[in-house]
Amino acid sequence: MRYRVLAVVAAAVALSVVAATTAQSSRAAGHTLTVWLQVDAQNGWPQVVAAANQAFESSHAGWNVNVQYQSWGDHLQKFDATIAANDTPDVIEMGNTEMTKYMAAGAFSNITADKSQFANSAQWLAGLKKSSMYNGKLYGVPYYAGSRLVTYRTDLFRGAGVKKAPKSLKQFESDLAKVKAKHRSKGFTPFYMAGTDWYSALSFVYDYGGSIATFSHGKWHGALASKKSIAGLTAYKKFFAAASPKSAATLNEANPAPYTVFSQNRTAAIFGPGWFSCCTGKKYTKVTGQFVMPSHKAGKSMPGFLGGSDLAVPAQSGSQAEARAWIADFTSTANEKALQAVGNIPNATNLLNGTVNDRAAQASWFVPTAKHWVDVENGNILRTMLGQILTGKLSVKKAAQTASANISYTLNQP
Amino acid sequence: MGAAAGAAVERPRRPLVWRRVRSGSVPYLLVLPVVAVLGAILAYPIYRLVRISLEQYTLFQLRTGGIYIGLHNFDSVLHDAIFWHTLLRTVVFTAVCVGATIGGGTLIALLLVRVSGWVRILVSIGLVLVWAMPPVVAVQVWNWMTNVQNGVLNYVLTELHVGDYFGHNWFQTPFSSLAMAVTLIVWGALPFVAITLYAALSQVPHELVEAAQIDGARGWRVFKDVTLPVLKPILYILTSLSILWDFGVFTQVYLLIGQPAVVPANYVMGVYLWEEAYISSDYGRGAAISILMLAIVAVMSVYYVRRMVRVGEVE
Repeated sequence: MRYRVLAVVAAAVALSVVAATTAQSSRAAGHTLTVWLQVDAQNGWPQVVAAANQAFESSHAGWNVNVQYQSWGDHLQKFDATIAANDTPDVIEMGNTEMTKYMAAGAFSNITADKSQFANSAQWLAGLKKSSMYNGKLYGVPYYAGSRLVTYRTDLFRGAGVKKAPKSLKQFESDLAKVKAKHRSKGFTPFYMAGTDWYSALSFVYDYGGSIATFSHGKWHGALASKKSIAGLTAYKKFFAAASPKSAATLNEANPAPYTVFSQNRTAAIFGPGWFSCCTGKKYTKVTGQFVMPSHKAGKSMPGFLGGSDLAVPAQSGSQAEARAWIADFTSTANEKALQAVGNIPNATNLLNGTVNDRAAQASWFVPTAKHWVDVENGNILRTMLGQILTGKLSVKKAAQTASANISYTLNQP
Repeated sequence: MGAAAGAAVERPRRPLVWRRVRSGSVPYLLVLPVVAVLGAILAYPIYRLVRISLEQYTLFQLRTGGIYIGLHNFDSVLHDAIFWHTLLRTVVFTAVCVGATIGGGTLIALLLVRVSGWVRILVSIGLVLVWAMPPVVAVQVWNWMTNVQNGVLNYVLTELHVGDYFGHNWFQTPFSSLAMAVTLIVWGALPFVAITLYAALSQVPHELVEAAQIDGARGWRVFKDVTLPVLKPILYILTSLSILWDFGVFTQVYLLIGQPAVVPANYVMGVYLWEEAYISSDYGRGAAISILMLAIVAVMSVYYVRRMVRVGEVE
């Protein structure tokens, strides 16, 4: 009896070993292209990924695509580990502000010569293209962008007698004052913005002609303490004080998410990525509208931060040509249009079609393309400055000077 | 010991030599597997760590390998004002955490001795549940409770008329952020200390307490002169362990404060190390910081370890 059991166990083990080896050998026969995309694609446009994979696999017999979804919080640390282990993916999605450091480190392949392989590459969005270039060479393919909009409650604005989207910052301020006068319940503010949300706040700086840093004579110069930047920061402070909750001065946009505040009926307007309209709450879906943030100059829009993603081929990938081919399939005109249909901005100007998103993309700003920019971001230099300004801990000038000096130092590190 | 050895010398016999060799080497043989395993899983990583700390090792060197630069990383860390500020902050932070954990744990243990059986069971279950909760989950719960808009903490404090906590941001300043982290860490560490001390309290001889009480000693006096000396060895162990844990704490502080709000003004050593090594991708500096941290924590716990060893010797 015991022997029989043993025999059965031995047979099972033998079978599973055989199964494992055959599985391995059948896998070895095909080639696998490993692609790292952010979870946004998994949640928002899985059909685009599937279409690209299908196109690629049908033109590359014997290949299959293994898409691994990553999260923004830790994908760079994971990527660093694969670089050290010489086991990088073949394609990686990078946030446009993350590109420069890796291009400078030689982590990505130079694809300048292959540019024409990608659809609409002559009309790529300037903001995204800029983030893919380093020392005049191309290291990435623009994937999609997202601009910033004001998402607002149409019923509350109308109820306060505001019928049209504001044409200037001043008019927007007076509109918000009207909404405030009408709704005086505790915990409600006409506008909600996390005070240290620098992507939104620094739009004021660019609106007034200022900037974060400029490059000249081979060095970066922090520019937040310039006259124009200070004018922008002062305007931001005034705008925030008039319409936003005081308690949000040192908060960031991750916690609480502005759309959560919106969905809980605690505000009439929020400022952030266009996709915020997704999550304004079931009750308010029908009364959610969007417009482009107005400039202090009447009739113009405030330049918005152009966030977005690029696709790059790590230099250590053993399947360079296939990686480029997959990117070309993924960023085809049809796929970019599909991305546009779900509320993103496509990667080329010839695909823009006048939606509120696309209009917002026309006036935009982007972070300095310095290899140490990521350190400014992760060091939270801008957030610290904004918190100091809004709480009044430091004067606008003093806070801007400190941040500016910090930025110059960080960007000019060897 | 001395007397036994003397007796052995008086009557030398041949098998004794063998016995001696055997008895001398057996402990070494027994400990050998452990040493081998530790060597394999600790020695190599430590060797790599020391090597990387002597190299320029950033994103650029991930593919090519580090470049030897001697003690430059240590020099640059020791000349970084952020390092010294962080160190001071972390020492204070650790002292507060350890003090509150040991103090609170002792009180809970003393309480457990006094309460009735079913209360003790309830409290013990509560403690074990706290202990079983992973730090990441606990951070999430803390975040919910302290949420600016909908946090139950703000709601309860306002309803109890403690003050107007409507929309109060518990993470407004570095001090308040770290204070929140302290509450979370102490809460998570209390069960281990309380349960261990409760077990130790059962070792306090009843007769001694009774004798002290007959002599007229009460409450605090009994605790100080009878209970505490018995608890001492355990307290030393718990304190040195708590110092080790709290000095290097990362998860609770980093996740609770959140990356967008982590700034040099609220760094503790673990977070500083993470930011320098992984966020700035300067692995050489990161390695240097971790070696310095190891040295510092060794110095900090040397007092307790020595006391622990001395207590062991006396026994």
